[in-house]
Amino acid sequence: MWTVASYVVKQKLARRKRYPLVLMLEPLFRCNLACAGCGKIQYPAHILKKELTPEQCFLAVDECGAPMVSIPGGEPLMHSEIDKIVEGLVARQKYIYLCTNALLLKEKIGLFKPSKYLTFSVHMDGQRQHHDFSVCREGGYDAALEGVKEALKRGFRVTTNTTLFDGADPNSVREFFDEMMDLGVEGMMLSPGYSYDKAPDQKHFLGRARTRKLFKAILSNRKKTWQFNQSPLFLEFLMGKRHYACTPWGMPTYNIFGWQKPCYLLQDGYADTFQELMESTAWQEYGTESGNPKCANCMVHSGYEASAVNETFSSLGGLLATVKATLFTRHQDEHALKLLDEPVHPVHSYNPLVQIEEASNQLEESNA
Amino acid sequence: MTGPADAKTIKDADSLEVAPGFAHEKLEGWVPDLAGEEEVRQALEKAFDYRGDVTITRRDGSKIEGYVFDRRTGKTLADSAVRLFPKDSDKKVSVPYSEIAALAFTGRDTAAGKSFEAWVRKYWEKKAAGEKNIGIQAEALE
Repeated sequence: MWTVASYVVKQKLARRKRYPLVLMLEPLFRCNLACAGCGKIQYPAHILKKELTPEQCFLAVDECGAPMVSIPGGEPLMHSEIDKIVEGLVARQKYIYLCTNALLLKEKIGLFKPSKYLTFSVHMDGQRQHHDFSVCREGGYDAALEGVKEALKRGFRVTTNTTLFDGADPNSVREFFDEMMDLGVEGMMLSPGYSYDKAPDQKHFLGRARTRKLFKAILSNRKKTWQFNQSPLFLEFLMGKRHYACTPWGMPTYNIFGWQKPCYLLQDGYADTFQELMESTAWQEYGTESGNPKCANCMVHSGYEASAVNETFSSLGGLLATVKATLFTRHQDEHALKLLDEPVHPVHSYNPLVQIEEASNQLEESNA
Repeated sequence: MTGPADAKTIKDADSLEVAPGFAHEKLEGWVPDLAGEEEVRQALEKAFDYRGDVTITRRDGSKIEGYVFDRRTGKTLADSAVRLFPKDSDKKVSVPYSEIAALAFTGRDTAAGKSFEAWVRKYWEKKAAGEKNIGIQAEALE
């Protein structure tokens, strides 16, 4: 926290208008899952085989200068030199979030040493059935859980990251929070799914109104035991209590193609250097407030958490709001409690085979 | 590929219940007619959005097959270029629009037919057949 705070204050003192907070380093696109809502892995085989070298990763990290490095992908544990990449970033005293589905965590954990700089951010999309349907793999939850337990046993820092789509059950998500905290993870991260234009599935992305309603139901009347590894103001943004403009440069992305324009989610071309990215991107054309249809539903951390962090350090009011949001986390709300009683219909609960049988039975009954 | 939303949706972004998503055209196997400048620009924009490989034939007759990951558009075709990773190389290649004689969407669309509904249906069908460890397999690399 202190590292991030001092970094942001330095940027403010230097009057730097646009600065990166977290580098999203994608060392490969290959994955051992094929989630329908993911827009990161839809490439031909020759692209999926490509990897950034450790040297390319270090060059990008040094060029960018952000104090935190998130390593998503693809599945980073499938990278042939992920241990060297992590080792080099720890040596640079970067705070690393290695984002993994944890299917390989138990097998590969021996490659890493516990460090305050290294956190395994395990992709868990909710309770067992929700997670397995979300990642399109039966048994995915149990395998991830085994990985988490092993990492915790060995003294690693572990957080979870959860992406929610339309049809998410807020009661189930709240029970999932209990389960994760009981397991011993350090904190949890949340985000609504972004409508990747390359994702196979294009029907279950939350719009902004429904996102706010869902997160209000989930995050109001919060339990004291729940710890979130996110800006408290960003969580209030998700609940509809704050409005932010997008900060797409806050979490710049580097992968085998180069520096992605304009952000982690949207692919509108690539720059060859970080400086070129910052100077040649038409930033005003992005963000919900720009009217760009590709940004219309986005409330994702990669665009808006940096906005929340920026508010914290922009004024005394922002700092006080953050202190308040950190100390008073309950967010008691009667209306939100009622939202928890509303019926939900998770998409995976629809069994087309059963529906066909029921429809057929009803037809027979009406014919009788 | 066509866009996700009309102007109304953009204006009403904050009241949007469900994001409309993108409607993907079936481009696999398509060979666009590059009759004029506008056709060239539109076709290469679609190549940039495509989730598979394309084959570009240059004006000198040479062919290059690969994945288009970037396009940089300028005022003229000579100022504009697509950048791609050839199928058989690790070196990025840039091809000016003005040098492109033909374009074909030769590779498979790697995401077509993999909707969430398709997965849920497959799951319940396999479950009914008594299968276990049901899942969608990641893309094969060979």
